[in-house]
Amino acid sequence: MESLLFLPVLATCRLLLAWVHFPVPDGLLIDHQLTSPLTSYFRLKEGLWLYNHGVDPYVGGILKHSPLFLSLFSTVPPGRVAWALSDIVGAWALVRIWRSRQQLGQSRRDGLVGTAYLLNPYLLLPSLASSTSTFENGAVLLTLMFAAEGRPSPALLALALSTHLSLTTLLLVVPVLMLLATSPTSQLASPRLFGGSYWKVLRYASEFVVYWFVLVCAASIMAGGVWNWMRESWGASLILPDLTPNPGFWWYFFTEMFDHFRPFFLMVFSTHLVIYVMPVCIKFQHDALYAAFLLLGILGAFKPYLTLADPGLFLSMFAVFPEIYPYLRHAIVTALLHAHASLLLPLFHALWVIEGRGNANFYYASSLVMGIAGGAGIVDACFAGMRIAVGSVPEVERGKWEVIQQ
Amino acid sequence: MHWGGALFTLCLSASLAASSTNNVPSAISGERYNEDLFIRPLLGWQNLLEDVLRDSESSGQHYTLFPLTLGQILEEYSIAELHLTLNSGKWDYDHWGYPDDPSVGTGAELWAWMADGPSSTIDERWTGLRNALAGLFCASLGSLDMRRTSSPSTVFPISFSPSTPHALRYANLPSENVCTENLTPFVKLLPCKSHAGLATLLNPQRIFDADWHGLSIHLRSTEKGTELKLGVQAVFDPVRLSGGRRRDWSFRLLFDRMAGSSVVRVQVPDGESHALSPTFVADDSAAAVYNLITQVPLDVSMSWPYEHTFQYTRVHQSRLVPLSIQRTLRGSSQIHVGYFENLPALVTLWMHTMETKVDGVKRDDLISNVTYHPHHVLANGQKSPSTFQATLTIPAASTLHLSMEVSRAFLKYTEHPPDAMRGWDLPPAILFPVCDPTMGICDMRSTSADVRGRMYTPSLLIDLPTPDFSMPYNVIIFTCTLITLIFGSIFNLLTRSWVIVRVED
Repeated sequence: MESLLFLPVLATCRLLLAWVHFPVPDGLLIDHQLTSPLTSYFRLKEGLWLYNHGVDPYVGGILKHSPLFLSLFSTVPPGRVAWALSDIVGAWALVRIWRSRQQLGQSRRDGLVGTAYLLNPYLLLPSLASSTSTFENGAVLLTLMFAAEGRPSPALLALALSTHLSLTTLLLVVPVLMLLATSPTSQLASPRLFGGSYWKVLRYASEFVVYWFVLVCAASIMAGGVWNWMRESWGASLILPDLTPNPGFWWYFFTEMFDHFRPFFLMVFSTHLVIYVMPVCIKFQHDALYAAFLLLGILGAFKPYLTLADPGLFLSMFAVFPEIYPYLRHAIVTALLHAHASLLLPLFHALWVIEGRGNANFYYASSLVMGIAGGAGIVDACFAGMRIAVGSVPEVERGKWEVIQQ
Repeated sequence: MHWGGALFTLCLSASLAASSTNNVPSAISGERYNEDLFIRPLLGWQNLLEDVLRDSESSGQHYTLFPLTLGQILEEYSIAELHLTLNSGKWDYDHWGYPDDPSVGTGAELWAWMADGPSSTIDERWTGLRNALAGLFCASLGSLDMRRTSSPSTVFPISFSPSTPHALRYANLPSENVCTENLTPFVKLLPCKSHAGLATLLNPQRIFDADWHGLSIHLRSTEKGTELKLGVQAVFDPVRLSGGRRRDWSFRLLFDRMAGSSVVRVQVPDGESHALSPTFVADDSAAAVYNLITQVPLDVSMSWPYEHTFQYTRVHQSRLVPLSIQRTLRGSSQIHVGYFENLPALVTLWMHTMETKVDGVKRDDLISNVTYHPHHVLANGQKSPSTFQATLTIPAASTLHLSMEVSRAFLKYTEHPPDAMRGWDLPPAILFPVCDPTMGICDMRSTSADVRGRMYTPSLLIDLPTPDFSMPYNVIIFTCTLITLIFGSIFNLLTRSWVIVRVED
């Protein structure tokens, strides 16, 4: 892994996997663990068919993608190579984030970081299933890469794009703005107050709003001058019209919810996502990249239409923060919970939906395990990120002192 | 041995001609009432029976033969043409051929051409019409709401040329059952109810025991006024009724009653060693005609005296694969037929996976004029049905497979019916006549159309994945507990301060 050629070889292998028309079973395209109604390639193709035949694709609730995808894939015919390229771009962005954090040109650990992204099954399988979450993850990683390298305009443009593609990425706006105002180097061991200038942050925020607005106008023009795509693609995260099962919490909760309480609990769940932003950013104001990492973890457990790609991004980003490894309290438990959930989810899904034999509760229970796994990862990362600041007990005194919270 | 069967079609049609009679002097009220009972053998042993009664009236608001309730409904909702059928069973086109009344789709089917206006008033009148008919016929037609209503005007064309524009509303409920509760108000619409005429034959215990039975009400505006046709079609199986031994039938066996008045026609099967009694009066076009005015009461019976026990012959059943139609063409030239599908929002059609195959070879040129409206969300949050319409060209002596992928919806807890494990019925697809495009525009009812009348595919039962109905409280508890645990842990971590504690030895 230390060889310089390791990453290019891996990238070539990924491209070959797409080129060689590896026989991916058709069931992967519509697998509910790997794709969701917001990211499913099947729906994108249906939207393209409707668009080509003169039917408004946003009317029936079939297409929930952004019009940018429609226009991209109606000019460029969709192929698996696009997904392989997006994977490679994401891995490259992660390596660049690692390098900016360590302030190194090249390091021996680059290969490991790239592997953590390219060979992560949570990210590889949705990419093989042609889920557009690959593009969303790539956009998020590009944002963090440009922000870590201190290039505001590309970072804000990438942030506007990733927010446009997936509404819940709005959680990352505050840490990215903070990251642009400070530096990405690891400050976890020495917390201090936010050192950036608030005026700069405000300027960057307004620039972000401008980029976002331009993208919205471009998408509306591509959709034929109508605004109903917003209700379908962004509104889906807020209103949850489609109750397709996925590894997240929301679907079963709102399946079993009576209509009277639905708006209240939709508001509660959406607000729940938002309330993590300020506390995490305040607590980690010395290290905005770590705050972004934690918020990605929150998204990877509590997003409305969750797929395996979302916790996958969080787990891959662990490779960028090796300083916290000694302070992770239950890494093995988290890994086992993830293994447990990822093996049970497809099994119970097939039993319930495809065969009609099992009960929905089995699948719900395995999605709860997935939630616990995600939660365990976030809690552990949060603890380790703060524990590192206290420092370790020296050899002489080990056993006599203990660091706790109260 | 070829098969026979008897199709019993009892059509009671009452025509009401309600033209404006301001300048017509008081003439004899032009109400006419005809009855017609037609018995046709189908396979070896089944009987198709069609009983038609027709009424017509020309005076303004006089309702003597024509039922008052239906006339009021027509006036109230400005309806030009109305068709309601309540059927039960699956019509087997392969063995029974074309029915005399083409509307043989399972369940309740209602379509109406109404005077045009803003779409909200049309929808209001449609709702009023459904509720009025539901009350009149004791059928749950009220559930034919906007989740099942669409407007396919090429499939159900208006039968006259109207001077003002009209709009169509069509809805289908395949899970509607037909029973005596529907037959009783149906028979009440007749002038003499069930006391006289062929309606005396309508014994509900026999009719609803038939292999296939259906009630139909057809209201049409003609030049002379309005024509109402009430029909009962049923496919009887005398072999089953006689305990599996003989295929002789008689009115006594089929209806357990005798006929009252009007005309009975029996189509005589050819080449059979049968005996038809009583001796028939007139014989035109292979049908024995009995005029019941002269012979009352009448018990028509057909027997096969030289046959000891009826033997069933082997039948090759054609299978129906879910959502792919399989139609074997026995004609010698290719046929153009229109295909119409009106699916409620329980299934989503994936049009980009549509495939047309003949004998395993993909032939995308055989499907044309595809019109597709996906289901969209209505104002009250419900979803309208998705309609799919296409013209299929079926080559001679071949089988055309039309297939596409379908996904099932995941409904909310409250949207499932009480018996959720049964599943939902999907309405039948309709094959309707279109003209060969090379022959130019032509009249739908002309003989140049390849398919005579509409054909209905069987309805399907679909099984949606159901949530656990005992779990709302538990789900809320579990999910909220988990969210709270994680939130609480993160909250504690973020807000507490570090303390270094000396460990006691």
